Amino acid sequence: MLELKSVTVSAGNFRLQDIDLTLAEGECHAVLGPSGSGKTTLLNTVLGVLSPERGRIRLDGVDITDVSVERRGLGYVPQNLGLFPHLSVRDNLAYSPRARGLSRTQFQPMVDTLVEATGIGALLDRQTTTLSSGERQRVGLVRALASQPRLVLLDEPFTALNESLRRELWWLMRELRQQHGLTVMIVTHDLTEAYFLADNVSVLLEGRVIQQGEKAAVYGRPVSPAVAHFLGVETLQPGRVMIVKEGLATVEVGGAQLLAIAPPGVREHVLVSIRGEDVILQRGAGEISSARNRLPARVVSVQPGSPLMGVELDAGFPLFALVTRPAYEEMNLRPGDPVTAIIKAPSVHLIVRTP
Amino acid sequence: MTMRSTSLRKTTIASALSVLVLYGGLILSLGWFFDGPVLRDALVSERTLFSVRLSLLAATVATCLAMLLAIPAAYALSRYRFWGCELIDTLLELPLIVSPAALGAMLLIFFNNPLGVWIQDHIMRIVFTFAGIVLAQFVTILGIATRLLKIAFDEVPTELETVARTLGATPCHAFLTVTLPLARRGVIAAFILSWAKALGEFGATIMIAGTMAMRTETLPSAIYLRLASADIEGTVALILVLVFIGLTALFISRRLLGKGAHA
Repeated sequence: MLELKSVTVSAGNFRLQDIDLTLAEGECHAVLGPSGSGKTTLLNTVLGVLSPERGRIRLDGVDITDVSVERRGLGYVPQNLGLFPHLSVRDNLAYSPRARGLSRTQFQPMVDTLVEATGIGALLDRQTTTLSSGERQRVGLVRALASQPRLVLLDEPFTALNESLRRELWWLMRELRQQHGLTVMIVTHDLTEAYFLADNVSVLLEGRVIQQGEKAAVYGRPVSPAVAHFLGVETLQPGRVMIVKEGLATVEVGGAQLLAIAPPGVREHVLVSIRGEDVILQRGAGEISSARNRLPARVVSVQPGSPLMGVELDAGFPLFALVTRPAYEEMNLRPGDPVTAIIKAPSVHLIVRTP
Repeated sequence: MTMRSTSLRKTTIASALSVLVLYGGLILSLGWFFDGPVLRDALVSERTLFSVRLSLLAATVATCLAMLLAIPAAYALSRYRFWGCELIDTLLELPLIVSPAALGAMLLIFFNNPLGVWIQDHIMRIVFTFAGIVLAQFVTILGIATRLLKIAFDEVPTELETVARTLGATPCHAFLTVTLPLARRGVIAAFILSWAKALGEFGATIMIAGTMAMRTETLPSAIYLRLASADIEGTVALILVLVFIGLTALFISRRLLGKGAHA
């Protein structure tokens, strides 16, 4: 569907380097990165606003690197939605079909379907400046989809919304994707949003794609400390591989030993990455379980959160666990309490440290 | 805190009122020499009516021509970085820093050099003609019109043009359907202020077009000539005509731009 091959582009002093990115038909791909990592530059390059110095961009097998913005057949929803304030909602929705020279009979059925699916029928005669945030988002989405684009590009469109409205629109986006078979590229710094909406993710740091793949694999197995930090991995500790046997590595971390799946090319010195939600806590010595890692630990502190509570542990090394509020209340955890931290071997990810 | 803000309020409002006192006082002071019959005679005299018609026509033509060049130029200065753009941006203020008389003298000197003489001989007579008046006003207002339009275009986010283009609009279509409508208040303001400035233009006009009665005598030139011949009552009558036309134009502009708009 969309393929970026070795794309390098400069915008002012910023440089996006050697970007390789592939989106399949019907896929939702999230480009994740902190502010200033080059997400919008990447989006502008795909849109055609910026021209690459090097590399090619293909859409459905056709080279669009030198094709002008209006002829790329893309749908775009910017961060502030870019609704035209001098036009009514109806005229905003009709802008694209009119600009492309479509007759009313050609575009109206599609617009009607989208209007119904998003529930904006009552807003059609309103000026866009009078809409609420949620209404504006819906109009922005429908307008981008009205001309049946081959690819929809979303630039952090839900960032400014409150949590409940965001989730409502995530569901709407999912429904629209399923109903219309949309291929979507979304750039965001929001991990939850990316995890909810995307099938695959790319992590963009300092102008380079550092990691790309299926979302669960990227979230669970970051390839570098920088990616792990950005993805919010709570426990990232230096470790030493003692032995590798039958695909399992025994790693010494602080005063504890952990079993982990040995990654290809594992060396002696590694970084051990464990996500907080993969750590199960039991009071005292704990019950028997199939998990390979059972670490005696003590509670150092409890950090209130919603919906998960953070529990900082001393397990021979600093370990961080996330537990649900009911579980936390049931265990009645207090600093100094003895607990058992249970971690499955596949949840202990080893990042090979470069010398 | 309250005392300070009250003090600030009083000081700033007093400053605003002093503007009213200054300009309003100048207009009211005309009353000292106001003579009803003279005003009536001046209003119906063939020479005055010619000056009014000439001023209105020349200002309108000059403003339309200036807008035709200023709109694309201002858009380019607002949107693109190109060789010479900073120099052009600086030159926009040339008519403000160089006196109109100097600007007119520069035009007159130009039309006395070989290229200017050739233009006059082969294309159009400029010096001491209606075209000269239009050119003097055009040169005086072009920079201001471009500056005002650039400010208007700067206020339209470029992202809206990008969105329009992703929706299938060509750059030209995006400009006509998004940028220009959104900048319309600024465009109207630029037109009317430029027109008002052209209407009152004197220095450059007198240099290149002179003040020939029933030929190149604009309203400001007529005021000058009446004053030079010590006809104070006649001068007052013509000033009132000019003030009336100018204020009417500004009033219409404020109505067109909406309540609270600042032209």
